[in-house]
Amino acid sequence: MRKLFAVLLALTMVLSLATTAFAGETLSVEEVIKQAEQMTNEELFKKAIEESKGKVLYGIGNSSRGKTAGASFIAMLQEMDPSYDGIIEWSQPKSNSIFTTLNADIKSAKHIYAMTLIQDGNQIQSKMLDTGNLLNFIPKEWREAEGVDVEANGHPLALQTLNKIFMFNNVGGDTFMNSWDFVKEGQSPLFMGVNSELVGKNFLYMLTHEKYANYVKDAFDALSEEDKAYFQPFVDEVAEDAVYLGLEAENAKYALAWIKLWCQQYNEETDDGPISNILVTRSAKGQTGLLVYSKLRSIEESPESSVNNITVAAYQDGYQGFGGYAYKHYLQVVKTSPLPWTACAFIAYMTTTQEGFSAWGKDIGGYSANPACNQDHSMDGYVDGENKFDAKNDRGYDWWLSADGGRLVVEDPAYCSQVSFDLGDWIDMIIGSR
Amino acid sequence: MRLFFFLSTKERVNQVERTARHSPLRVALNRFISVFRKPHNAILLVLGIILTVSTIAPMIFIARDTFSVHPGSVDAHYTGLTEGYTLYNWKDLFTGRLARINLWTPLLNSMILATGSCIGAILFGGGFAYLVTRTDLKYKKYLSAVFIFPYIMPQWTLAVVWQHMFSSRLVTGTSDGLLAALFNVHMPLWWCKGMFPSILVLAMHYAPFAYILIGGIFRNMDANLEEAALILNTPKWKTFFRVTLPMVRPAILSTILLVFSSSVGSYPVPHYMNLVTLSTQYITMGERRIGQASILGVIMILIGVVIMLINQRTTGGRKQYTTVTGKSGQSSQVKLGRVGRRVIAWVCIILTFITGILPIVIFAIETFLPNPGDYSFLTTGNFNLLTLKWWTTAENITESGLYGQLGILYNREIWNAFKGSVIVATFCALFAGTIGTLVGYGVSKNRRSKWAAFVNNMAFLPYLMPSLAVGVAFFIFGSSMGIYNTYLLLILAGTVKYIPFASRSSLNSMMQLSSEIEEAALIQNIPWHKRFLKIIVPIQKSSIISGYLLPFMTSIRELTLFMLLCSQTKIITTMLDYFDEMGLYAFSSGINLMLIVFILLLNAAINKFTGASLDKGIGGG
Repeated sequence: MRKLFAVLLALTMVLSLATTAFAGETLSVEEVIKQAEQMTNEELFKKAIEESKGKVLYGIGNSSRGKTAGASFIAMLQEMDPSYDGIIEWSQPKSNSIFTTLNADIKSAKHIYAMTLIQDGNQIQSKMLDTGNLLNFIPKEWREAEGVDVEANGHPLALQTLNKIFMFNNVGGDTFMNSWDFVKEGQSPLFMGVNSELVGKNFLYMLTHEKYANYVKDAFDALSEEDKAYFQPFVDEVAEDAVYLGLEAENAKYALAWIKLWCQQYNEETDDGPISNILVTRSAKGQTGLLVYSKLRSIEESPESSVNNITVAAYQDGYQGFGGYAYKHYLQVVKTSPLPWTACAFIAYMTTTQEGFSAWGKDIGGYSANPACNQDHSMDGYVDGENKFDAKNDRGYDWWLSADGGRLVVEDPAYCSQVSFDLGDWIDMIIGSR
Repeated sequence: MRLFFFLSTKERVNQVERTARHSPLRVALNRFISVFRKPHNAILLVLGIILTVSTIAPMIFIARDTFSVHPGSVDAHYTGLTEGYTLYNWKDLFTGRLARINLWTPLLNSMILATGSCIGAILFGGGFAYLVTRTDLKYKKYLSAVFIFPYIMPQWTLAVVWQHMFSSRLVTGTSDGLLAALFNVHMPLWWCKGMFPSILVLAMHYAPFAYILIGGIFRNMDANLEEAALILNTPKWKTFFRVTLPMVRPAILSTILLVFSSSVGSYPVPHYMNLVTLSTQYITMGERRIGQASILGVIMILIGVVIMLINQRTTGGRKQYTTVTGKSGQSSQVKLGRVGRRVIAWVCIILTFITGILPIVIFAIETFLPNPGDYSFLTTGNFNLLTLKWWTTAENITESGLYGQLGILYNREIWNAFKGSVIVATFCALFAGTIGTLVGYGVSKNRRSKWAAFVNNMAFLPYLMPSLAVGVAFFIFGSSMGIYNTYLLLILAGTVKYIPFASRSSLNSMMQLSSEIEEAALIQNIPWHKRFLKIIVPIQKSSIISGYLLPFMTSIRELTLFMLLCSQTKIITTMLDYFDEMGLYAFSSGINLMLIVFILLLNAAINKFTGASLDKGIGGG
């Protein structure tokens, strides 16, 4: 009896110790991220294999290509360990429901989502980062890679920057040499509604930032006297609004005037796809649009449609003003992530390897925050060594963002979330009164 | 033990007092056992509880959401709260500076849209029903079959076809549509976008409702009254307005009920037609005014409740859905004349060609165009410009003009989504059909019971609530329960929403069933499940199968209800909408063709084997 008691006691002690030791190893997601940020990719991938063998990682994102990247990531892990049998389930919810879905998942008793690929810096800042619902993870190899700008793209971590640029149909011989030309009387540029794709609204918020308001003012100064006379009353009309809205930029009233005219005049389409389909046709003479650059990749040449029917406004010599805007896809770990190591490893894979980024990198108009992952698209318009489609020759991230290049208006989550409430209502009132 | 009858008066009083002393619990228990020994009572109790919970719980979630503080939204920003509850959303939506834009204009537009759609559907569907059932029109069979095509297609696909037809550079500021490109015809802006085309598209989509409901009455209408009017030399127009029309009033009211609530909740049609309604505004407000968007959901639910109450007041409870009012066996057909019956038939053929056949032809052509909407093969006459790439491209490494997608035949996402839709539709049909049939049975057996009336209303209420409102309620409910993006949530929402199809169909047919049939079996001690399965079901087979068929058909092409509940690749309609929004019309058209062919084949197969069909379901055929 005594022996039995002793054995039982010993067993209990061993079990208690084991439990304690096991519990000690269960790290919070924050702690995992902290450790993961000090690991090489290889170390991280091993952790992922250990954690998610036989399990499913649920990712949610605004881009359907996360699924392709996920498949590539799994294949890479299987190369490291042929017995690895984890799966990535990728979902792409409609419109804005990604934020509600993530927040609901975090609040629920059973957490599903491990990581997200998400756009709209404004909402990410105000709904997810300020609340601590999404956690930022910066991979070591990304941070240390050549050409990476941690300050610009690390908080929150950006997978890529995408550009939406001004284009116009050149069949009728029209030209648009200034960003104010797109809001001239009678113009109705094709654009996704600012409330259906909110990065478009962020673009308008960003225009009131000092740097970009100066772009708008510079473009205004470059207008002819006749055009200046036309636009000046609009600028004067919104000068008080700039004060009321608490905008600090000296040239905010120019930005507001441009925004107001844009919101009154743009021709709303459901997506950039229909916009590009329309713009490249012969019948869309003189039409303009602000759309994602990569849409040009899939136009098939026909008597009615041709990439050569459009001109990229910023590629013209002497073009004044901003050439469009840039927004980002951010990668974040959900604070209740069931598989945090795998989530971090997947993020590291997409941001530090060319294969991981290839789902996006194969197209023009999308630029990894890690230059090593980018592919060269500067000669995509060449066919058999001949420059057939100049509009498809992507001049690259640095050119597009530079002050003497494309002068894109770049999304800044913190600024957007700072001005979005009052300025957002101001914009909604204009759109609602059209 | 002596019988009560042989007891003395004193003994009788004692026994009554004794019984009374022991009775409260025992009497209640006895009554309970006695009531629930009848299966229909047990069915009503259980289903009443289930339906109340499944209908009310999501509403409670959505109502709570209107008072909740949402971090990152205006309610949190302006109240300074990070959690808890506030009245801010209600105050701001109704009285804030954006009240007109966020509430009143969308509300007004929704009301106009719904009213216009009702009128259009009744005129088009009712007129057509009259011609088919009460006249000697030619080609009735063909016309009757083609007329329901717009109902089979997802509603917004007609809106997309409309855009393809009428867009024009000069008017809509886009490229030229078919009419402008081929014939240089430029329709005015009000024709191309906004309220008018939205009403027209929804009216075309819902006209089959009116056709089936009103046609059901016309078909069975007693002609004696009209003949009496004729004998009395009453003018034809007067006979129509004073005799015929009052007889179809219940069907017209039913159509109004169904079309109004469906139109109020329609999201995709106004979305594609650039019209701001409550549904589109709900989506728009999701960024910073999520709590106020939920109020729009509550308003849409209230509209559904008000419609039901108005309907009950005007027609007196459940009679409103009785479309067969009497069968005298006499019906007369109006003679259109030798020429008239042909001319009118051809007009109808052209109309139904435009509403039913042309969209299918355009869908088919679209899948062979080099670029979406690029009809250069027509303008040049060069048919070599057509391509099979949208069907047969088997890789997405090199760019083949498919925006990174594989061709339809090789696109696993499309086929998986189709499979997902079939799964959801099958389970919705099974659950909704079974529950609806049992509700119909239970209610028909307890016609005067208030509980039965309550269960009946509870079963029908979700149908009167706009789809988007139900979707919103289940979205908030499903997200809170951790079942977002699961088949379970879709099936739950679909079942609750489509029970009315089965319950109406079942109730109408069960009401016609004499209780003597079941009583005869009861006398022979045949258990309930046998009575139900071997007697009632075979007799009412056609209606009951319709009760399964309609939820299936409707949920397989449903978007508005499901679009908030799952990712875009989960089911075929969200995928179809995704492609339409992206402007990849070849894919969306191909999917549309798949859906139409699938539904028609299924309908034909079921019709052949059981006699039930889509056009017999609504109104209890």
